Amino acid sequence: MTDYEARIGDERVDPAAAWRIEWIDWAHGVARAFDGERSRLVVVEGSGTEWTVTIGGRRVPVTVRSWRERVLAEAEVGAGAQAGPVEIRATLPGLVVGISVAAGDEVDAGASLLTIEAMKMQNEVRAPRPGRVIDVAVSAGQTVATGAALLRLE
Amino acid sequence: MASLRTDSPVPPFERLLVANRGEIAVRVIRACRELGVSPITVHSDADVDALHVALGDRSERIGPPSAGESYLSIPAVIEAAERCGAQAIHPGYGFLSENAEFARAVEAAGLVFVGPPPSVLEALGNKLAARRSAAEAGVPIVPGTTVALAEDVSAVEEIGFPVMLKAVAGGGGRGMRRVDAADELAGAMASARREAEAAFGDGTIYVERMVAPARHVEVQLLGDRHGGLAVLGERDCSVQRRHQKLVEESPSPAVDEATRAALFESARRVAATVDFHNVATVEFLLDGEGNHYFLEMNTRLQVEHGVTELVTGLDLVAWQIRVAAGEPLPPDVLEATTRGHAIEVRLYAEDPWDGFRPSAGRIGAWCMPEGPGTRVDAGMTADTDLRPEYDPLLAKLLVHAADRPSAIDRLRRALDETLVGGVVTDAGFLRWLVDDPAFVGGAYDTSLIAERWAGGPPLSDDDRALAAFVALEARRLGVTTGASTPDGTPAPPGSAWGERARRDALRG
Repeated sequence: MTDYEARIGDERVDPAAAWRIEWIDWAHGVARAFDGERSRLVVVEGSGTEWTVTIGGRRVPVTVRSWRERVLAEAEVGAGAQAGPVEIRATLPGLVVGISVAAGDEVDAGASLLTIEAMKMQNEVRAPRPGRVIDVAVSAGQTVATGAALLRLE
Repeated sequence: MASLRTDSPVPPFERLLVANRGEIAVRVIRACRELGVSPITVHSDADVDALHVALGDRSERIGPPSAGESYLSIPAVIEAAERCGAQAIHPGYGFLSENAEFARAVEAAGLVFVGPPPSVLEALGNKLAARRSAAEAGVPIVPGTTVALAEDVSAVEEIGFPVMLKAVAGGGGRGMRRVDAADELAGAMASARREAEAAFGDGTIYVERMVAPARHVEVQLLGDRHGGLAVLGERDCSVQRRHQKLVEESPSPAVDEATRAALFESARRVAATVDFHNVATVEFLLDGEGNHYFLEMNTRLQVEHGVTELVTGLDLVAWQIRVAAGEPLPPDVLEATTRGHAIEVRLYAEDPWDGFRPSAGRIGAWCMPEGPGTRVDAGMTADTDLRPEYDPLLAKLLVHAADRPSAIDRLRRALDETLVGGVVTDAGFLRWLVDDPAFVGGAYDTSLIAERWAGGPPLSDDDRALAAFVALEARRLGVTTGASTPDGTPAPPGSAWGERARRDALRG
C-alpha cells in the first residue's frame, strides 16, 4: 500500500484508528464512518492530494500526499517561493462595487483593497500581507468570476 | 385546530402567480396545491432549472439573471401574470413583497395582491414614519430621533453612544451600523447611506439608542378584510449575525405571561394605526428588565413564519391567500392558541469560521433531515449551482416538540442527519449552537454570536483524526468524489466518477 500521509493546515494528523467507512453515495462522496460504538455521516470531496471532509457541518481541508509527493512539495518550499508578487484573486463571483487602492499605493496587511458585491452582501477584499500595489486588473461595475485576478501586490 | 377547508368548498383563485424564487416560492406552491389553486412560477434566465420552476404548473420568463431586471421588475412580473391568466400574485418575502408601487400596479391590472393593502406598505415601509405613528399610538419606541439624520450630527451626541444607525427604507439588516463613539460616526454614516442607497434606492438614515443586552422578539399578525385580527404568538429571533436572523423560536424563552400580554397589546395598537389585513410581523426589542420597544412592522410573510405555523397548527400562507380572496377568518383562527415549542434554523451558504462570509459554488451532496416533528423548507437540491445574484439561504430546518428541551434534542438529531456538500454552510455553527449552554439555558441575547461563537471553536482532535482517516480512505480508493473540484470550480456531473469508483471497488 502506498505510504500516504494526511495533513490539516501545516500539521501532520494521524488518522483515527479503528474506524471503518461505508459509502452511501459515491458520486457525491457521502459516507458513514463507524468505530464500533458511534456512527457519523461525512462528505468527502476532492481528488489527487486535495480533499475536503465535511464533518459535523464543518468543512475540513485535508492534504493527502504520498512519500514522493511529500518530497517534491518540500523541495518546492525549500526553493523559496516566499517573496515575489502576490496575485489577489476573487474567492467568489460578484460585482466589483468599489476599489480603494490604485497602482503604486503602499498597503498594510489587512487593508481593504476592493469591495465585491455577491449574494446581496458587500465583501471587502483585504491585503494578505503588506506591500505595494503593482496594478489593478478590474474596474468598478465589472462582474468577476471565482478565481478572477483582481490585483497584484509586491 | 382550525380546519382549512370548512367554509371554503371552492378554491379562492383559479391561478396564482408566485413572484419569487427559492424556498419561499416552493412554500407558496405547496399552499396553492393544498387549496386547489394552480401555481404559476416566474424565473430569470439563471433559474430555468430551479426547483420552484419544476414544481409549478407552468413558468414565465421574466428577464436576465440580475434581480433588478427580473424578480424586481414590476412590469415584467405584471406582464407574466397577465400572460398566464393569474387572478392573484403572491410576492413571497424580499424582492417586491413590501413595494407599495408594485402592490398598486397589481391592483391597477385588476389582480389581487396577496399581502397587506398598498397604503399599509407605504405607511410602514418608511421606518421613521412607522416609529412616529407607533409612538403616537402609545407604543414604546427605542429612544432616538424621529426625523432623518442630517449632516448635523448633534442629535446623535444628545442620544448618547453607543447608537444604532438605521435606514428609513430598511430591512434585512442592510444600512444598519452600530456606532460606539463620535469619531466613528462619519464613516459609519457614509457606509450605511451607501448600503441603503444600493439596497433600497434611498440612503436616508435615522438613529436609535443602542439597547444592549437585548432580545429580538416579534409578534405575528393575521388579519382579514372584515376587521378580524388574530395575534398568533411571538417568535424570538435573538440569534443574529450582521443584524440578520439565523435561528427563531416560539414561544420566546424570555417572555413571561405579563410581557406577552404587553407585547400583544402593542402589536394590536401598531396594526390599528393602519387599515391592515393579510399578514404582518411587529418587531420589538426586549431589554433585560422585560421592557419592550417597537422596532418596525414588516408587512409581508416572514422567512420564519413556519415557527408560528408549527405551534399554532395554522397554514399562514394558505390563510394569506384566502383572506386576499375576501374570506373572513373563522373564530378558531381568531382565537388560535399555541402548543409546544418550535425552533427554526437557517441553513445558509456562508462560512461561520470566516465571519459568516457568503460562499459560492455548486451544491454536491444534499441530505435533509426527516422524522417526527421535523420540517424542511428548501429551495435547492443536490447538484445545484448557487447564484451570486441571489440570497444565500439554502433551506430552513424546523422542529416542533412538546417543550423547549425536547425541541432542542430534536433539532440536534435533525442537524446530525443534515449533510450538504460542495459549498461551505453554517451547519457547523448550528450544530455548535444546540450544545451551547447559553442557548440551551434560554438566557441568551443578540450578542450570542459575537461573544460566544466569536470566530468559532477549533477543530476537535477527534474530528481531525476522523477527517484525516476519511480523506486517506478516499485517496486510497483513487476516486474523485463530490460535485466541486478543490479550487471551487464546478466539475462535470460526478456520476461517471462514482461509477468508476464502484467498478474499482468491486474489482479491488
